Amino acid sequence: MPDTTDREITVKDFKGHINPDWCPGCGDFGVLNVLQRSLAEMNIAPEEVMIVSGIGCSSNLPGFINTYGMHTLHGRSLPIAQGFKLANHGMHVIACGGDGDGLGIGVGHLIHSMRRNVDMTYIIMDNSIYGLTTGQTSPTSGFNMKTKSTPFGNPELPVNPMALAISAGCSFVARGFSGNPKQLVEIYKAAIKHKGFAFIDTFSPCVTFNKVNTAQYYRENTYDIQEDGHDSSDMQAAFARAMEDGKIGTGIFYQKERPTYEEPEKETFDIPLVDQPLGVDEKLANELNAQFL
Amino acid sequence: MSEKRNVIVRIAGAAGDGIASTGELFGKTCSRMGLHVMAYNSYQSAIRGGHVWLQLNVGEEKTRCHGEQPEVALLLNKTSPEVHIPDMKPGGIVFYDVSKIKDDLTVMRDDLNYYALDFKALCDFEGTSPVMVNVMLAGALIQAIGLDTSVGMEFFEEKFSKKGQEIVEVNQKVFNAGIEWAKENVKDFSVALKGDGTKRMFLTGNDAFGMGFIAGGLKSYAAYPMSPATGILHYLSRQAKKCKLLVKQTEDELAAANFIIGSGQAGVRSATATAGGGFCLMVEALGLAGMLEVPTVYVSVMRGGPSTGIPTKQEQADIKLVMGGNGDFPRIVIAPKDTDDAFVQAARALNLAEKYQVPVIILSDLFLSEHYQTVDPFDFSKVTIERGKYMRELPKDAPRYKRYEVTDDGISPRLVPGADGHMYCSGSDEHDEDGELVSDILAGLPRAKEVRLKMHPKRMRKEETMLKEGDIALPEITGPADAKLTLMGWGSTFDYIEDACETLRADGLSVNHLHFTDLYPMDKEKVKELLASCNEIVAVENNMTNQMCKLILGETGFEITRSINRFDGEPFTGEYIVNEVKKKELINA
Repeated sequence: MPDTTDREITVKDFKGHINPDWCPGCGDFGVLNVLQRSLAEMNIAPEEVMIVSGIGCSSNLPGFINTYGMHTLHGRSLPIAQGFKLANHGMHVIACGGDGDGLGIGVGHLIHSMRRNVDMTYIIMDNSIYGLTTGQTSPTSGFNMKTKSTPFGNPELPVNPMALAISAGCSFVARGFSGNPKQLVEIYKAAIKHKGFAFIDTFSPCVTFNKVNTAQYYRENTYDIQEDGHDSSDMQAAFARAMEDGKIGTGIFYQKERPTYEEPEKETFDIPLVDQPLGVDEKLANELNAQFL
Repeated sequence: MSEKRNVIVRIAGAAGDGIASTGELFGKTCSRMGLHVMAYNSYQSAIRGGHVWLQLNVGEEKTRCHGEQPEVALLLNKTSPEVHIPDMKPGGIVFYDVSKIKDDLTVMRDDLNYYALDFKALCDFEGTSPVMVNVMLAGALIQAIGLDTSVGMEFFEEKFSKKGQEIVEVNQKVFNAGIEWAKENVKDFSVALKGDGTKRMFLTGNDAFGMGFIAGGLKSYAAYPMSPATGILHYLSRQAKKCKLLVKQTEDELAAANFIIGSGQAGVRSATATAGGGFCLMVEALGLAGMLEVPTVYVSVMRGGPSTGIPTKQEQADIKLVMGGNGDFPRIVIAPKDTDDAFVQAARALNLAEKYQVPVIILSDLFLSEHYQTVDPFDFSKVTIERGKYMRELPKDAPRYKRYEVTDDGISPRLVPGADGHMYCSGSDEHDEDGELVSDILAGLPRAKEVRLKMHPKRMRKEETMLKEGDIALPEITGPADAKLTLMGWGSTFDYIEDACETLRADGLSVNHLHFTDLYPMDKEKVKELLASCNEIVAVENNMTNQMCKLILGETGFEITRSINRFDGEPFTGEYIVNEVKKKELINA
């Protein structure tokens, strides 16, 4: 896979021609900036990247970055991204979307994508609220949190994305905060470099509908697990960090490379499918017919 | 067609008794001799213990139906006689094993010839087991109706050589025991079929779909198992390495339907298949393929509905479903007429999907997908691959590429992702020629309305182009143009209706057949003209509510008011249609 080109790539190369329509102060700006920086710092060219999103405020991201993009259906970015990646594994494929998209309507795909381990990156922009539908509870909204759909408090426990990912066999599990770009850029670069399915839950506060999980809240309550000496190759330690109460760890929880989905099928994926000739030759056609004679 | 020399054979027993392998042995014997076979499998949604049977119509000429009354039966378990003896044609012959069936069958009917074999006595040698009763009976059957017994010997070699030579030999010995017994004990059966010596393939419609896809350049296939569509997944999985295919069993139909959109967007030919219930889950993705203009092929195999319905039985009641989805988007719906056509249409669907950048739906049904039939080897050399406005590269200094450029024919040049300098984003929301969304902060503003009024007709215009370009076939009429009665059908009923027409014409009735393979889009004027040129039309639909008549009415304003319907879970037969025509006095000769 070509992950560098012969020209020097800068953040400017990724500048989209449309300005984001997110609310001023939205955490998604930080995610966009960090993603652009990460790709530039890795010297990946815009034409080598496909970004696939679902539906929601954050899922508008592919429209605001100068790479190839697909804005698809609510919860379905992962199957589409995998179908794309396996058809053209020469490109870097990044899926992104909100917590409702990935952990609510699309959570079935998420679990299977993690165990399948296609070589791609998945960024959840997690604001613990449904923003585009104007403020209902989300799969990561806290217990008892008051939203428009839970005016008397959320009666359900939130999903724990880190614990879920580790148990589902995800080969790269991380959490970041859009208000901490210095750490986030390192996480994204490691994720894109990782061979296999890399998942990053990224806190990306909603300034309009979530008055609990604000940027201030995350600044006060998060800490860097790497600085705290976490060993990301230790699954038990990763679970322990994922289950912590109180302080919220950010960084790479777990990383262990294992064969990607494509690797055992070497015969099929020797060159990207999109570059392979179509149809079969006469010899193979005769062989296919002969199976039924 | 009283000259037609054929014999109808039924093999019945419990699921797990070896019905399928007996059928395969018998079918291959016939197909390698150059006989024609059409076989229908009646089964249940149970892996062991349910009662199943396979009916094969074997003939010297092409057999169009699996037939009604069997002339020969091979009964493998205790419950078989009560189910099948009443169906037999008078004078028919019945084979069974005395250890499985102990009753005196002459009490049920005395106009049949019964042949009771005794496995324990006839196959008393090392390595046999009672599960081989079917092999012995198959030997007796093949000998009794005068077929070539050597194919059976080859069959065991091919089937079991990997398991060891002893297994091959013991099967051959058991098979031979049945042959020898029949030589001594079976009186001459009146039909001794002679093949033309041409070896033919013996396969299902699902196999044919898979082969057509490979011939047509399929590269990515994703599916979730669901009867009666699973055969395509099985077939393609077996060929994946040899043909360099990506074949993925996904976590559900939502994933499969979207996975192929990803592959399609990447520039790879992609398809999925499911049954009606699974297709319900795919409808959301269908609209996405329409909106993003991604070439994709969806095979939807109809079975008894609604909901889970009758999973293992036949129905043609999903036209409304495949025409579904929110909003309007262009699509093509093709209902192949037989096994040969399944091969042709699968390859054609991939071409049409790319040429028009639309989802193409192949509407099959349980009968077409799962029944076995003999066909000549497929001619792969006749399949052409046409990619339409497909581009892999575009010079970097070319004018800025617009993925959704408005064109007269509605089809935009399609640059697949990867080219330097021409990045674009495809949006499921309404978007402009660049792909920029006009749905959020622009919604309702003059520019967004202008975009909508340009882009929506641009997409829908593709349906007009398909008709103009002659890419959608008109229904075909077979038989005399001025017939008094026209039987109208679609999809897999082609052969049944042809068979019925032949019988009715032999009886001196004036009948022809109007058949739809391409269901949508419909050339309103031409189809209306064709319908109006018929004297009296009777629809033949394997459903209760005449979904095709409703589609025709909606598209053309032409109303077909009389119909023959079957929705008991069984496919039609020629005989069934003939009886209905006569019973309902649909024609006055």
